[in-house]
Amino acid sequence: MSDQSTVSIPAVTMANVNKWFGEFQVLKDINLEVADGEKVVICGPSGSGKSTLIRCICKLEDHQRGDINVLGTELNNDIANIDEIRREVGMVFQQFNLFPHMTVLENCTLALTLVRKKSLKEAENIAMGFLEKVRIPEQAGKYPGELSGGQQQRVAIARSLCMNPKIMLFDEPTSALDPEMISEVLDVMVSLAEEGMTMLCVTHEMGFARRVADRVIFMDEGEIVEQSDPNTFFNNPSNERTKLFLSQILQH
Amino acid sequence: MAATNYNIPPQISFSTKLKQNFFASPLDCLISVLCVLFFATVIYQFVDWAFLSSIWSAEDESLCRDAGGACWSVIDARHRIIFFGLFPYEEHWRSTLACVVMVATMIASCFSWFWSAFRLSFLWVLGFGSFYILMHGGVFGLSVITPERWGGLALTIFIFAAVSIIGMPLSIVLALGRRSKLPVIATLFGLFIDFFRSLPLLTILFTAAVITPFLLPGWLLGDKLYRVIAGFAIFFACYQAENIRAGLQAIPPGQDEAGKTLGLNFWQRVTRIQLPQAFRNSLPAIVNQFVITFKETSIVTIVGFFEILASGAAAYGTGKWTVHYIEVYVFIGAIYFMFVFSLSRYGAYLEKKLRVGNV
Repeated sequence: MSDQSTVSIPAVTMANVNKWFGEFQVLKDINLEVADGEKVVICGPSGSGKSTLIRCICKLEDHQRGDINVLGTELNNDIANIDEIRREVGMVFQQFNLFPHMTVLENCTLALTLVRKKSLKEAENIAMGFLEKVRIPEQAGKYPGELSGGQQQRVAIARSLCMNPKIMLFDEPTSALDPEMISEVLDVMVSLAEEGMTMLCVTHEMGFARRVADRVIFMDEGEIVEQSDPNTFFNNPSNERTKLFLSQILQH
Repeated sequence: MAATNYNIPPQISFSTKLKQNFFASPLDCLISVLCVLFFATVIYQFVDWAFLSSIWSAEDESLCRDAGGACWSVIDARHRIIFFGLFPYEEHWRSTLACVVMVATMIASCFSWFWSAFRLSFLWVLGFGSFYILMHGGVFGLSVITPERWGGLALTIFIFAAVSIIGMPLSIVLALGRRSKLPVIATLFGLFIDFFRSLPLLTILFTAAVITPFLLPGWLLGDKLYRVIAGFAIFFACYQAENIRAGLQAIPPGQDEAGKTLGLNFWQRVTRIQLPQAFRNSLPAIVNQFVITFKETSIVTIVGFFEILASGAAAYGTGKWTVHYIEVYVFIGAIYFMFVFSLSRYGAYLEKKLRVGNV
C-alpha cells in the first residue's frame, strides 16, 4: 500500500474529519487514506458513523472540521470541486434509488447525456455494455418497479459504472435484499474488485470482505477502532469492541 | 359433465353475482327494485322532456307552450349570443376559428410528443398568437375588436387557457421557492402563497379590475381583461403550487442523492428527477385544480365580462325567450360538461399511463 501511495495520488485522504448532527458527534477525528485500486470494507454496529463516513466522500453530507481530499481535489464548498468529484465517484445505495419514472436504459443514459454530453446513441451503447456486465441486458426496456431487488441493485451498479468512476462507494448494498438475491449482487461487486476498481464498501457481508478486501475497518461510536488486513481482522482482532462485534455477527 | 379444472380460479356466473349482490334477501330485493324504478323514472322524464316532447327549431316556438317538453327553439334562435357574446355578428367566424385553434392547442398539448419545453412553448405561442390575431384583429385586413367586446365560449376558453398557461409555470416556481434551502426565500414564497390562498377569488378579481388602476402607472396597466387574467393566474398558481409541493415532498430523499452522485446539477435534478415524479404523485390534485379553474371562469361576470354563462343570461333575457331559461342553462351545462368531463377522463388516462413501472 505504501508503495502505491508514493507513486500515485491517493484516491481518498481524510484528515481529522469531524462531523456533528446537531449536538451529536457522528464522526470523531477520522484519519483515513485509501490508495488507488484499494478495496476497503467498513463495518461496525448501526449508528457507528460508517455510512456517514462514505457519504462525506461524495459530499452527500458536509463535514464540519478536517480535510477530505478525493483524487487530489479538495472537498470544500466550491461547487466546481464538488461537481468534479461527484463525476469521478460512483455511489450505490441500500435502497437502490433508481429513478422509477425512467426505464432501466434511461436510468443509465441520463447522466451520460446530461453530464458527459454523449449523444443518445453513444450513451445507449455504453449503457448496454454495462447492463451486459451486470448480466441483465434483457431488462433494459423495463421500469425499475418491474424488477426484483437484486436486479434493481445490479442496474444501480451499472448506472454508476456508466459514468466511468475512479472510485465506487457502496452503502450497505445488500441489506435491503431478500437472502436469495444477495449473491447475484456480490458477484458483480467481486468482479468489479477483480478489475482493479477502488472500492469503499459499508457491508456486513464478511465472506465478501474476506474474499476481496485489502483492508477491513471497524468503526464504533464515530471512531475508527481497528483496521487491518482481513486475515488479521477476522482471526486475530486486537480490540475488545471488534471481538464483541465479530462474535455477534459471526455466531450463526 | 366435464371434469372440474382445478388449474383455473372458480368462475362465478353473472346471474350468481347479481343474486349475491342485489337480491340476497327480501329487503335487498325491495331496495334494488325501488332504486331501479326511481332511476328509470328520472331518466325517462328527462329523455321525454329533452328529446321526445321537445321542439327544436326557432320557427316552431309557438308550439312550445303545448308541447310539454323542452323548447330548444331558444338555442336555435339565440346560440350565437351564447357562443359569441357581444362579438360583432359578421365577425363570428373569427371567434369560431379562434375557439377551434385554442381547443386544438389544448388537445395537442395532451399528447406526450409535445412534452418538452421547446415543443410546448412553440405550440402555445402559435396557439395563443393565432387566437389573439383572430380575436383582436388589426392585421391581415381584420378589423380591430377590443377585449371588452369578446364574449361567450371564446372568452371562457381564452381565460381558462391563459390562466393555465401563465399559472402552471408560476406554480412550479412558487413550489420550488417554498422548498428552497434558504430560509428567507422559503418564507417569502410561503407568505406569498398563503396570502393569495386566504383571499377569495372574487376579491382578487375585483382588485385586479377596479383597484389596480389607482395603484399602477398607466403604462403598466394594460387592458382590464389582462389584469383580471393575471390576478386569476396568481390565484391558480398558489393553489397549484401547493399540489406540486405535496408531490415533491412525497419523493424519497434518495432520489435526489442518486442524482447528485451521478453528477447532475441542481436544475438537471429538478427537471429530470423531481418535477416528473412530483407531477405523477399529485396528478389527481393537479387535474382537479384545472377542473375547478375551468368552472370558476364564470366568476369574471362580476367584473363585467360576458363569458359563456353571462352570455347565456343575455340569450334568454329578451322578449318571448325569458321563459326558456332552463333550456339555456341545460345547454350551457352540457358545454361545461363536455370540457370538464374530457379533462377528468384525460386525467384518469394519464394516471393509468404514468403508473407503468410505479407498481
